[in-house]
Amino acid sequence: MHDTFDKTVQDRKETSAGLMQYSAENLVPFGPIHPALKEPEYFKLILEGERIVDVIPRIGYVHRGLEKAAEQRPWIQNIYMFERTCGICSFAHSMAYVQAVEELLLYKLPERAKFIRLVVAELERIHSHLLWIGLMGHWAGFETLFMWVWKDREIVLDIVEAIAGNRIHKSLATIEGVKRDIPEPLIPGFIERLKYITTRVHYYRNVVDTESTLLIRTEGIGKISADRLEQLCAVGPLVRAAGIPRDVRRDDPYAAYNDVPMDLVTKSGVDIHTLMQQRLDEVVVSVNMIIYALEHMPPGPVKLRVPPVVPKGENASHVEAPRGELFYFVKSNGGRMPERVKVRTPTLANLPSALEMLKGHTLADVPVVLTGIDPCFGCMDRLSFLDRDSQKLWRWSGEELRQYGIHHYFPERKK
Amino acid sequence: MILTILQALILPGIAFTITLGLIFEWLERKTMARMTGRVGPMVAGPAGVLQPLADFVKLLYKEEVMPSFADKTVFRYAPGLFFLAPLVSMLFVPVIGPSAVASFSLDLLLIVFILAYATFVVAVLSYASASSFTTVASGRLVLQYVSYEIPLVISIVTPALLVGSLSIQEIVQAQSSRWNLLLMPFSFAVYIVALLAELEKPPFDIPSAKTEIVAGWLTEFSGRALAFLKLSKELGLVFGASLAVALFLGGPLGPVPQSIVPVEIFYTTYFLVKLFALGLLIFVVRTALARLKIIDAAVLFWKILLPLSLAQAFFVLVVKG
Amino acid sequence: MPRKLGSAVPEMIRTLIQPPVTEGYPFKPLQLSERFRGKLDVDPERCTGCGVCALVCPVFCIDMIDVGTRKVGDRELPLKKPEFDLAICISCGECVDNCAFNALELTRQFELATANKQDMVMRKALVK
Repeated sequence: MHDTFDKTVQDRKETSAGLMQYSAENLVPFGPIHPALKEPEYFKLILEGERIVDVIPRIGYVHRGLEKAAEQRPWIQNIYMFERTCGICSFAHSMAYVQAVEELLLYKLPERAKFIRLVVAELERIHSHLLWIGLMGHWAGFETLFMWVWKDREIVLDIVEAIAGNRIHKSLATIEGVKRDIPEPLIPGFIERLKYITTRVHYYRNVVDTESTLLIRTEGIGKISADRLEQLCAVGPLVRAAGIPRDVRRDDPYAAYNDVPMDLVTKSGVDIHTLMQQRLDEVVVSVNMIIYALEHMPPGPVKLRVPPVVPKGENASHVEAPRGELFYFVKSNGGRMPERVKVRTPTLANLPSALEMLKGHTLADVPVVLTGIDPCFGCMDRLSFLDRDSQKLWRWSGEELRQYGIHHYFPERKK
Repeated sequence: MILTILQALILPGIAFTITLGLIFEWLERKTMARMTGRVGPMVAGPAGVLQPLADFVKLLYKEEVMPSFADKTVFRYAPGLFFLAPLVSMLFVPVIGPSAVASFSLDLLLIVFILAYATFVVAVLSYASASSFTTVASGRLVLQYVSYEIPLVISIVTPALLVGSLSIQEIVQAQSSRWNLLLMPFSFAVYIVALLAELEKPPFDIPSAKTEIVAGWLTEFSGRALAFLKLSKELGLVFGASLAVALFLGGPLGPVPQSIVPVEIFYTTYFLVKLFALGLLIFVVRTALARLKIIDAAVLFWKILLPLSLAQAFFVLVVKG
Repeated sequence: MPRKLGSAVPEMIRTLIQPPVTEGYPFKPLQLSERFRGKLDVDPERCTGCGVCALVCPVFCIDMIDVGTRKVGDRELPLKKPEFDLAICISCGECVDNCAFNALELTRQFELATANKQDMVMRKALVK
């Protein structure tokens, strides 16, 4: 057992990618701490003058071990933990987890709860896209756009606070329903403010399309073909901007997406400029969906009481987070706690596409292109290993991790 | 003699320039904040006027850290050299009257030389703090300098072509009937754009791009050196705007009524009003535009602004002759 | 669409004239919504020491402490009351929703910073 384990690790080291084929003078380290990144990730940029030849990522700086921690907490308490995977897409995480668990129970979700989930999920999409537009202004040096867009984002966050009690960690999803109802007297105020947001988004669309200095920074930057995106398994607004009509809300509807009409926004080719147009148009679509849902909300209870144990089984569910397809796999062995929870976030799927989009551009384009995929490294992180002497990088499978744990904690089992 | 020394030290010399620099920084932050819906500095002093001074003083007592592989001599002494450039240049611009504190017949050439010297000091400075970000920044700085210098010099020299003298004082005095701006508006526009490039304000803040190369050539500085470097950038703004006022807007000249108030007050008031108006124009332009890339900035200067300034100079020569 | 330089300028002038949107906090009080989830508060009269809040708390910030005994039939059983560590509490509201006696509520107070960590432990409910 010991010999085969060591041999497997040795094989892995031999066959992984090498880092030291490039000389150190051309290496500009982007990260882990950099003003252009919200979260720490290390990208080694190999430059020739100002042109980027290659990008080598190294992830794992914000890995928190949430999947393991989930195995030690009861079902409902995990909702709060998964909510805190990411601040911007927090409701998407909790909703995906809750949906995965609900299909193992055999209760029927109340209709009103489905509509409320849709309203809050779309509000989160609006706030995430507005945040992203502001950030694009910031990376392009256009601080004015950044401040204006975030000023309007405050309106959305105030609506969320009136519904959920907190602006970011909404704590709204629970197994079989939502925890609180939307207060009825406030709904007309919400609708009016959302219509104001639509007029502001039309103005920003105008600025994005006509301001020359912004167009120089975003048009033609970060081009990638739709075929390459499909090969690299990209998800979210990135593939929709390339013209591929893929959206979980339409392909596999969850919550109330069957009952609320939705327009799918697609553009014809990916570059940063079309990504900005795509996300701004998606905000308008989301506002229309929220207004429809608020006006047609069915009466009824918002949650059901559930027992604290979940029957044996395994299930997977996916939702359309603001960044793409978020995927949760849940396995239960009939107890109070889950046996395994696995999360696949959209940024992990989009990262190879971002690295491909960077090649051939200059250093000034790096923050703009990396933010183009709307990265959320906090959600995405995985462990990776680096051997300092030979500078080889590799990853372990689950079985290798388990074997390593056994060998580390029980050295007497080595034969 | 004593009067000259006093003028050099206080008004319109060192104290005046530094105070104007701090006020301009406050004005910039306040207008930029108000145009984006924020409030700007509020706490230090009435309406936050003392905020730049507070930032300066705070930086003075912070620890200075030097990278171990930086060039020690340059790192330590170059910030002081950069600080001197706008201070010395301000002495040649008439502020309190039609004549400047110091002047001679070729002082416009000296100004051009000092501008080149200042940029050279910055390029050496950023190359001496040898980290990967500052190396990229120094490359961008030199490329940007090479692009904007020729249109800048041509647009500075065009008023001299009209008046026939290279002394700033005489250029100002020749504008007593009408401003140079009316005869050479394109020179003025080219000068303003080149000034934005020299001061590294958006759309040309490429060498110190905050979101790409951390802080550009300012990255490795801290403590006193950083305080003086930041102040020098503001003084550069004051000087650049003062030069534009002197060359194109008639300096401190304006109608002076007879009264018991000394005539210097009127001249200084006119100068300050024109200076602040120009400053506001620069702040509005900087808030409204995104940052260009270095290649696009170079293309802009070589393909558009250089022919424009040459055409304007040729037009002035034709009109004069 | 045609390219323009300075399409942001009219909006900038408009924003300059309007009052700024910055909140005056901390010089003025902050406007919070009614449902804002701030500091936890407990009513000692209503709390019976059932212990459900400690079971459902996701961050394990509620400790049940012995404060005496209670009679159940003719047996003496320990009476435990909750002690809340507000530094760990995430204000999620699970305990509030699950308390059968309405003894807990989330107030709108959020300025909890203190120099002494022991100040954050709420022992109000530790009465017999």
